[in-house]
Amino acid sequence: MATRPTEIPVPTRAVPRTSFWFALQSKWAPYLFVSPFLILFFTFGAYPIVKSLVLAFYVTNGPKSAVFVGLENFRFLLADDDFHKAVWNTAVFAFWSVFLQLPLSLGLALLLNSVWVKGREILRLTFFSPNLLGQVFVGVLFSVLFIPQYGLVNRFLHFLAKVPLDTKWLSNPDLVMPALVLTSLWMYVGFNMIYFLAALQAVDKDLYEAATVDGANAWHQFWAVTLPGIKPVAVFVLVMSTIGSFQLFELPWIMLNNSAGPDQAGLTIVMYLYQTGFVTGDLGYASTVGWTLALGVLMISLFQMRVTGAWKGGD
Amino acid sequence: MRFPYGPAAFSMLILSILSGIWLLLNPVPPKKATLVMWTFAKTHYDAYKQAIPSFEAKHPGVKVDLQLVSWQAVTSRLQAAFLSDLDVPDLVEVEISAAGSFFRGPLKDIGFRDLTDRIKQSGLYDRMVQARFAPYTSRGRIFGLPHDVHPVMIAYRRDLFEQLGIDPNEIETWDDFIRIGRKVTIPGKRYMLELPDSESSRFEPLLYQRGGGLFDPQGNCIMDNEIAVQTMMFYVPLVAGPNRIASDLGGGQIFTRAVEDGYFLCMITPDWRSKTIEVDVPKMRGKMALMPLPAVERGGRRTSTWGGTMIGITKHCKYPDLAWELALHLYLNKDDLAQRFRDTNILPALKEAWDHPAYDEPREYWSGQPLGRLYAQLAPDVPFQYTSPFVSVAKGKLSEALVACVQYYKQHGEKGFEEFVRKRLKQSADEVRRLMRRNPY
Repeated sequence: MATRPTEIPVPTRAVPRTSFWFALQSKWAPYLFVSPFLILFFTFGAYPIVKSLVLAFYVTNGPKSAVFVGLENFRFLLADDDFHKAVWNTAVFAFWSVFLQLPLSLGLALLLNSVWVKGREILRLTFFSPNLLGQVFVGVLFSVLFIPQYGLVNRFLHFLAKVPLDTKWLSNPDLVMPALVLTSLWMYVGFNMIYFLAALQAVDKDLYEAATVDGANAWHQFWAVTLPGIKPVAVFVLVMSTIGSFQLFELPWIMLNNSAGPDQAGLTIVMYLYQTGFVTGDLGYASTVGWTLALGVLMISLFQMRVTGAWKGGD
Repeated sequence: MRFPYGPAAFSMLILSILSGIWLLLNPVPPKKATLVMWTFAKTHYDAYKQAIPSFEAKHPGVKVDLQLVSWQAVTSRLQAAFLSDLDVPDLVEVEISAAGSFFRGPLKDIGFRDLTDRIKQSGLYDRMVQARFAPYTSRGRIFGLPHDVHPVMIAYRRDLFEQLGIDPNEIETWDDFIRIGRKVTIPGKRYMLELPDSESSRFEPLLYQRGGGLFDPQGNCIMDNEIAVQTMMFYVPLVAGPNRIASDLGGGQIFTRAVEDGYFLCMITPDWRSKTIEVDVPKMRGKMALMPLPAVERGGRRTSTWGGTMIGITKHCKYPDLAWELALHLYLNKDDLAQRFRDTNILPALKEAWDHPAYDEPREYWSGQPLGRLYAQLAPDVPFQYTSPFVSVAKGKLSEALVACVQYYKQHGEKGFEEFVRKRLKQSADEVRRLMRRNPY
């Protein structure tokens, strides 16, 4: 005869004393705790986003007077030479910033990841330190460095390559963009280097040993081990740098003395948005520009992630 | 007893209760000042600080809170505050290039009070230089009292002129000036005149001198009319091409160095800039002098205007009569104006104030010339300068046209230049008009 296993008594949780107030607070307290975030988010995040979408269909004179114009703002945008110029300038800046910045950052990271480089800690700090400064400060600094006749950049280039001393970096429309890209490189190469450095240090050392045993030289190891190993970080840096480049505002605004520079050579999309909204006073059209920028950046980021295979996983 | 959501949540709760109690016990003190006034210029701020105590003494119980606010804040923050019905000061000084942007939208939505009746009834319209009301007028209504006239002269290195054998009295027209300039200019080392080739700040005074402008009295964009074309064709060869006599390096320390080095012999100088030069280039004391702007043709206008400030009373102001009295106190007291002139070199818009002896005092920096009298003699001839809510856009478009014309002239010289200038100015003006047409107000 089979014996019934002895039933082990399951310890039951003591039933709390249920009063009305306790039940009320246990139901609502979580909402109360998340409410500060929700209030702030809906007030300063969600509401402005929705409001700006609505405004994109109005011509306004500030928030008080608005006239509904339907899709007219978007039609105007398509034929707006200033907007086209802003898009072109921003795209050129993004292209050069990203395609110069990322290889330079990666190169520096590889250099500072090598054991034979002396004083790596100091060098890391040195290359990263420009990013500790604000864009406004860097803008002021470089506007002084780029001044004609007496500026350090011209003095150096004159010494090096007999570049004329009165070269006007910030008042010659052809030189404004190179000046902005150079300044941006100085500021962000070290910053992106830190990401690459962290990624390089996370690559499995055994893979290098195995590659060496298989007879791979340094170049092959870079292509077959290093690049795949840092790919997730490289894609992240690529996307973030592109987004950052499309949001460019403070640097040219300060370097070009609160203007778009000669022949609007430094006009960026965000600068145009600011000018439209707060100089011309048409918040409606500024919202149209803002939404176009947001959609544009979204599409570029999706394209980059698709091309780099970022959605396929970490392999 | 334990708090059911842990110590972190408990701390937050305690903190919020404590800060709430603190705020309840320490409410924001009510504003003590009767009138709040913003100015963007340090020199104005210093001068008004001295003038306000006598106003307060005349009005017992009245307190004026004068605040120095950056130029950018006045133009952008004030604009945003007006549009959003936020708290704004009672009186504000606004720089001329930004003034137009405050006049956009329906008249009822303009943040400043209409001062037309006060100005006309008090006789101020005739007592002040009338041309100076134009930049602060929109659709026939005046929204600001002009602070200044800002006539333009040419500041020059007197010592270098003497060394080079140049007699300023022989320079009557721009043709005279250019002829001499070509003799003394050494490209890359010395230029007759400081003029930029990439923005229109110095182009505009020369446009006004010829009777042109960005807008007409009705607010129509006229920056492509015949006067503008002729001005552009005159200006560009000064800053580009083989016969250029002008260059520009920038402001601040570089300007100081350039003047000291004799890189520029002459500078277009309104009254306010004469003080800037005194402060920025102190080593040139006794080596500088002023002469009238060369005329376009013999017997023509020998001055123009560059810059300006207005004072306006906001609609938010609870005591507009008191604010008006303060504006008059600051802008009409002859002795205060004279002292302010000594401090800033700025000629007031009130014509009767120029009789004060301060304007005849010789200035050591300017080789003993009576700076005030020189500017005052030119002031009645200052041209009108009309504005529009689209003035900032128009200035930008004019600068674009200038850059394009300079580039064309550098590449092609005189060949086809006039046609290009006409086309480019029209393009810029059309862009401004296109934006204006979008304005439903």
